[in-house]
Amino acid sequence: MALNALELIYKRLRERPQELVEARANGAKVVGFQAYNLPEEVIYALGLIPVRLGSGGDGDLVEVGGRYISTKNCVYVRSTVGLFAENTDPYIVNSDIVAFDATCLQTFRTAEVVQYYFNREVIILGVPRNFYLQEAHTYFAAELRHFVSRLEAISGVTLTRERLADSIALYNGIRDAIVRIYPYQATKNPAISWEQVFDVIQAGYVLDRREYLGLLESLLAELVQQRGAPVIGGEDDEARIFISGSTIPPGDKKLISIMQELGGRIVGDDLWSGLIPYVDVQIEDATLEALASAYLNRTPHGALPYLELATDRRIKRLKELITTFKANGVIYHTLRYCDPYTFKAKETKDILEKEGIPLLELHTEYAGSDFEAIRTRVEAFVEMVKLRAESEEAA
Amino acid sequence: MAASEKIQGIFAGVDVGSLASKSVIIRDGEIAGFGLIPSGLNSEESGLNALAAALESAGLERSDISHIVSTGYGRISASYASKTVTEITCHAKGANYLFPNARTIIDIGGQDCKAIRVNGDGSVADFAMNDKCAAGTGRFLEVMAGLFKVSLSELGDLSLKADAVVPMSSTCTVFVESETISLLARGEKPHNIQAGIHHAIANRIAGLFSRVGIQSDVYFSGGVAKNKGMRKALEEVLKVNIVEPYFDPQLTGALGAAVLAQAIAVKEAKKGRQQESSAIQSAA
Repeated sequence: MALNALELIYKRLRERPQELVEARANGAKVVGFQAYNLPEEVIYALGLIPVRLGSGGDGDLVEVGGRYISTKNCVYVRSTVGLFAENTDPYIVNSDIVAFDATCLQTFRTAEVVQYYFNREVIILGVPRNFYLQEAHTYFAAELRHFVSRLEAISGVTLTRERLADSIALYNGIRDAIVRIYPYQATKNPAISWEQVFDVIQAGYVLDRREYLGLLESLLAELVQQRGAPVIGGEDDEARIFISGSTIPPGDKKLISIMQELGGRIVGDDLWSGLIPYVDVQIEDATLEALASAYLNRTPHGALPYLELATDRRIKRLKELITTFKANGVIYHTLRYCDPYTFKAKETKDILEKEGIPLLELHTEYAGSDFEAIRTRVEAFVEMVKLRAESEEAA
Repeated sequence: MAASEKIQGIFAGVDVGSLASKSVIIRDGEIAGFGLIPSGLNSEESGLNALAAALESAGLERSDISHIVSTGYGRISASYASKTVTEITCHAKGANYLFPNARTIIDIGGQDCKAIRVNGDGSVADFAMNDKCAAGTGRFLEVMAGLFKVSLSELGDLSLKADAVVPMSSTCTVFVESETISLLARGEKPHNIQAGIHHAIANRIAGLFSRVGIQSDVYFSGGVAKNKGMRKALEEVLKVNIVEPYFDPQLTGALGAAVLAQAIAVKEAKKGRQQESSAIQSAA
C-alpha cells in the first residue's frame, strides 16, 4: 500500500529549491552547512533557514573539486568543493553563509578552500577532539557561543531562551519521529524500505523543519495504521545487512542500488548520513551549555580519536544497533581517503567477529569504474551471509 | 580424493574470467571433463565454448547436463546457466572438493586477487580482494613478461634462477615497468628483478591476508597458480607451505561451480520429496 506522506516528501523535495529562492527574495537568509556536530537548533532559533549541503555519487564533481583541494582528501569533500566550484546546485547557490564544523579535519579544510577560492562567507564551529573530557564540554559551549554570536549578527536577532526552547522542542520532535519510523523498515514484509527511510532522513536536510516534522508525523501515523507496532525480523534465510562506515550523502546510490539488485536487504545503519545523529540526544535545558553537552554525549563520529575500544561509545552503539535490527552481516563502507573510517575498519571487524557478525569492508569512490568489483564483493558477502543463515536455521 | 558426495548425475560449472574461460563437468561426483579456452569479447559465447570443450573432453552432450552454474566476471551474461554464483564462493567450493583440509585460498586471476578463508564444509568464512587496479594480478605479470620478452609461463621459471631478490618500490603496473627498465639499465640481473616482481605481488597478497587471517592448509588457485616463481614467492613472504595441486588450479572456480550445480540438484530433489510427502499426507 502506498504511503501518501512519503510521496508528499518526495514532491516537497522537488519544490524546495524554488521555495528557497522565493524565501530569500522576501528577506530570509539561508545558512548552508556541512557538519557532524553542529546543533542546527541555533540556526533555526534565530529565524535563519538551515540547509545541509553536499551530495555524492558524481565522479565529475570529484574531479572538479580536486583542482582546488588535495586529491588525498575523501571524495565526499572533493565533491563538495566541486559543488562550490560549479555553483549550480540550488542549495549552494542559495546559501547566504556557509558553516562547517571541525569534527572531520577534511571538512575543516573544505571551509578554508571555500572561503579562499570561492569568496563565500564561512563560519567554523570548533569541535573538541575528545568528547569524554569535561574540558571538552566547556570548550564546545564556548565555541557554540561564538558561533551563535556570528549568526546573531547575520540575522539581526538575539538568541533568547524562549527561541532556543522552541527550536529544541521542534528538533526533539524530529528526532523522536525518525527514531520511531526507522524500525518499520526492518520488519517482515515492511511497508517502507530502508532506502526510503534513508531518503526521508535526508529530505530533512533541506525541507523547512516545521513542515518536515509534520510530514514525519503523518508518515508515522500511516505506518502505525497499516502495520501497528513494528516487530523487527524477517525471513529465516535473509541476508540482513547493516551499513556502517563513511557517510553516504544524497545522490550516492552505488552501494544501495547494488544491494537492491543482489537481494541483500539493508535493515540498519549507524551512518552520519543515516540514523546515528538522531539517537542519544538528551538536551537537559534550553541553554547553549546544555545543547553543547547533549551533542557531545551522542555517539562520537569516527574522525575523533579514541583508543580505548572497550569503552568506545561508537562501538557500543554499533553493536546495540546490529542486535536491535537483527542484522546478520555488516557492510563497512569506506570512501577513498576517508581515513578515519578506513583506519577503523579492521578493529571494527575484529570486534564484531567475536560476536559472530561477519563484516565486509568496501573501499570505494564516486567513479563508476569499480562498480563490478564492488558488485562481486557484495554478491559474495550476501551469498556467505545467506548460507550462514540457512545453516543456523538447519541446525 | 574428492570431498563431494557421490551424487548421481551430470553437472557443469562455467567460469568466464577476464583472460580465460573454463568449464568442468562432474559426473556422479567425479570430475569427468574440462575445457579451458582464452576469453573472447563476448562472455556468453566464451562460456558456451568452454562448456563445449568440457563436454567434448567428457564425451557428453549438452542435453546430458542437468544443472549448470556460471561464475567469474562473465557470470552475468550466462543465459545457459541454472544459477550464477560469485567466483569467491566457487573457489572455496572447488578447493574444498580437491583438498577438504584447505582453510585458506590464494586466488590470483587475470584482473584481481583474492584471499579467502574457508570452513570445513567449503563455505566462505571470510574474504578480501585487491583494489581495482592491476597490481598483484595476472595482468600485471603479463605486462612484465612482455617487458622481458618471454611468455607468461616462462617468467616464473626464470625467477627461480635468481640468487637475490631485488626489492621493487611499488606494485603499480606502470611504475614497476619503468622501475624494471631503470634496474636493467643499472645492471641488475634480470632473474633477480623477476624474483623481485613476484615478491612485490606476494607482498601485496600478504596485505590481503592481514585482513582475513591465514590458516593451514593453504591452497593456491587461479591461472597464476601454475607459475612456480609466484608460488615460491608466496611461500617465502607468507611463511606457509602451499599444497601441491593435482588438478589444474586454473579450473578451481569452474570446479566449484560444478559442485554447486550438484548441490542445487540435491536441494531440488529434497524439496521435491518433501512436497511429495506432504501431498501423500494431505491425500491420506
